[in-house]
Amino acid sequence: MRTVLRILAATAALAAMAMPAAAQNYPERPIKMIVPWAAGGDTDNIFRPFAPLLQKHIGQPIVIANVTGASGTVGAREAKGSPPDGYTLYAVHDYIHLVHYAGVTDVKYSDFEPICLLSATPSVLTASPKTPWKSWAELAEDAKKRPGQITVGATLGSTSHIFPALIEKAAGVKFKYVSYEGLAPRMNAILGGHVDLTDSNLTQKGKVDAGQLKFLAIAAEKRDPEAPDVPTLKELGMDIVYAVLRGLIVPKGTPAAVRAKLDEACGKAAKEPEFADAMKKQGTRVSYLNAAEYGPFLDKLDRESKVIMTELGLAKQ
Amino acid sequence: MFELLGHGLLTVLQWNYLVPLFAGTLIGIIGGALPGVTITMTIIVILPFTYGLDPLQGLAAMTGVYVGGSAGGLVTACLLGIPGTPSAIATTFDGFPMARGGAPGRAIWLGVWSSLFGGLLGGLFLILVTGPLAAIALQFGPWEYFSLFVLAMAMVAGLAESSFIKGLLSTAIGLLITVIGTDPIGSVPRFTFGSEFISGGFPFLPVLIGIFAFAQIMSDIEKAAVPKTPEAVLTAQPSLRVSHLKVIGEILSRPFLLLWSTIVGILIGVLPAIGGSAANMLAYDQAKKFSRHPERFGTGVPEGIIASESSNNANVGGSLVTIMAFGIPGDAVTAVMLGAMTIHGIQSGPLFVSQQPALAYGIYAAYILAHLLMVLILAAGALFMLQITRVRLAVLAPVVLVLCVIGAYALNNTMQSVYVLLIFGVFGYALVKGGFPLAPLILGLILGDQIEINLIRAIMTDDNPLLFFTRPISGALLFCAGLSVALAVWQHMRHRARTAREEAPDF
Repeated sequence: MRTVLRILAATAALAAMAMPAAAQNYPERPIKMIVPWAAGGDTDNIFRPFAPLLQKHIGQPIVIANVTGASGTVGAREAKGSPPDGYTLYAVHDYIHLVHYAGVTDVKYSDFEPICLLSATPSVLTASPKTPWKSWAELAEDAKKRPGQITVGATLGSTSHIFPALIEKAAGVKFKYVSYEGLAPRMNAILGGHVDLTDSNLTQKGKVDAGQLKFLAIAAEKRDPEAPDVPTLKELGMDIVYAVLRGLIVPKGTPAAVRAKLDEACGKAAKEPEFADAMKKQGTRVSYLNAAEYGPFLDKLDRESKVIMTELGLAKQ
Repeated sequence: MFELLGHGLLTVLQWNYLVPLFAGTLIGIIGGALPGVTITMTIIVILPFTYGLDPLQGLAAMTGVYVGGSAGGLVTACLLGIPGTPSAIATTFDGFPMARGGAPGRAIWLGVWSSLFGGLLGGLFLILVTGPLAAIALQFGPWEYFSLFVLAMAMVAGLAESSFIKGLLSTAIGLLITVIGTDPIGSVPRFTFGSEFISGGFPFLPVLIGIFAFAQIMSDIEKAAVPKTPEAVLTAQPSLRVSHLKVIGEILSRPFLLLWSTIVGILIGVLPAIGGSAANMLAYDQAKKFSRHPERFGTGVPEGIIASESSNNANVGGSLVTIMAFGIPGDAVTAVMLGAMTIHGIQSGPLFVSQQPALAYGIYAAYILAHLLMVLILAAGALFMLQITRVRLAVLAPVVLVLCVIGAYALNNTMQSVYVLLIFGVFGYALVKGGFPLAPLILGLILGDQIEINLIRAIMTDDNPLLFFTRPISGALLFCAGLSVALAVWQHMRHRARTAREEAPDF
């Protein structure tokens, strides 16, 4: 028995010694970045230009793995199950709080450690070209006449579901939700007129200019210089400011030294002018927070999300 | 449009694209020429090499394999009488008799030039139709997609030669595999037995590699006698000298045949799930039906070769239309190509051509150039292809297997994919032994998630199930599905009645 204990103790000591060494040499091999949404979607478009910049500063290839399905929770599960060694990064946005409260998954943001917040993308209420409305007022009037009949394409339990739900509550209307995961399938559906409304963002401005889509309102504090004709929800009398916030996290238990290295590399990569340019093309602004700031920020977001989900009646009892 | 195509051609003519394209075409021809190695297998083998390339390089290589593979089968088909791939089966019917009758050059070059013409006509269709079809695809709501997939499954099950029931069962097994794991809408775990290993479901490509490459190689090994080539044929070094003008003249003097075979090939290609193996048989059958001398088919008539070879290359163009306009794979080969696109972060679908014109026209250009390269390669080395069939299966099989495993592992850099490959390799082999056709299974696997998602979307949008029938496109597609099942059952009954009558005297 004693020998067994001694061996165990020795192993533990060895492991303890080995740990910092492993962290010291980190990273020794390519790092996987799990993007839980389809390639070519919003989240993918934001992290894909970031990956080579992070690679430049961390010194190892960053390989993007699109692990899709079930409102991003398939990727969440895979990220949670990955070894906490810094070789798996997990690209998230607010959905990680929302889907948890919606009861879609048991994976929680607190199963991870924060690395950095990167970007904020204001939501834009977007209508299909086949709908008759030219403005929010017309939509609101129609929606009051036909409760529960106007369809919204959304990733259930995620930001594209919450944003219209906030509008529903503020305007006292009722929509019908149809599951379309990710922006690309939602765009196909809305261009074809298979859904009436969806949550999109300024990346779709080209289609609006071409008359293929209609922007009804933007959920920002003030109008965006890129689309000065689109009114804010605040102007329309709804106190809604909503942006999709994206950042990087790693599985809980990742050594502090590894996290510090990632934190530092992310900070440098996020400050690259190339990244700002890439984000502008995505209708997004760089909104960087380091690991120390991102943690409390996530806590705050989580509390807010819980309140929103409960108020909207979307939280699972 | 032609400006974009010109730009695409210039891009692909640069060395960094031309080299992968050439390599792909060459490997495709070799894979196509080797009996027992299918185009799907060849494309799986080169998949891991494309991970590190830029998207267009990778897709150019894959397009090359697809085009080369569809043509490569004709060499072995004509000279040895063994189809190198299932898409060259009909080529053996007349190609082999013609070659044995003392005109091997004529047989080969009829095939090569027909492949070129069929392929280029298919390319014309690809370039002209993809854009408009994408606009139509945008009008496809969840109802239409659901009905389209039902039609695809009905057709492929009906095509299974062995038994309609086994074809349907095989499709059902494919669908069932996609049910395992977290459901795509509500994230409810299904059939996971609480295991982390299967909670994400079985990733598509490792399953495909397992079932298609692994299981097939296993059954090839079993009948190792098949690719045995008589030494005499290999050492004979038949002269392939022929007047190209005369051969081309022979093809072009039958414009109706060429055009009709091409159309058959394209249509089979556009329909999801039915690949080149059906196209060449159907085109051959059609050529025979329309011929003034059907009794001479099978004795070495040029029409047989022209029909088979022009249709299987045109089929490639048709399949590419489907992945580029609808974003759904037409067969296992395009499923792998779609998978490769996803790895590079490109999502195909109705918006693909308008949002990624450089890539789309690059693929068109690669498709056209691959045909020219195919002719050059075959002109230089048709006989060399014959020598390749000497490579023993004992050498070839392990190489292919190792490349399959690497391909699966490198997808996500996890061993899980390798285990999945193993499980489904064994499973697929068992199905082959049980006489189940694999094509319907792969189709079920490719479409399973999409069928489910679109069914649920349709019901979420409007809970009236009659919409599947009353929406015109959806209704028409379902009607065709019903028709195709009825036709298959009728043919089966007729076949059975006939064989029963013939067998009757035995009792």
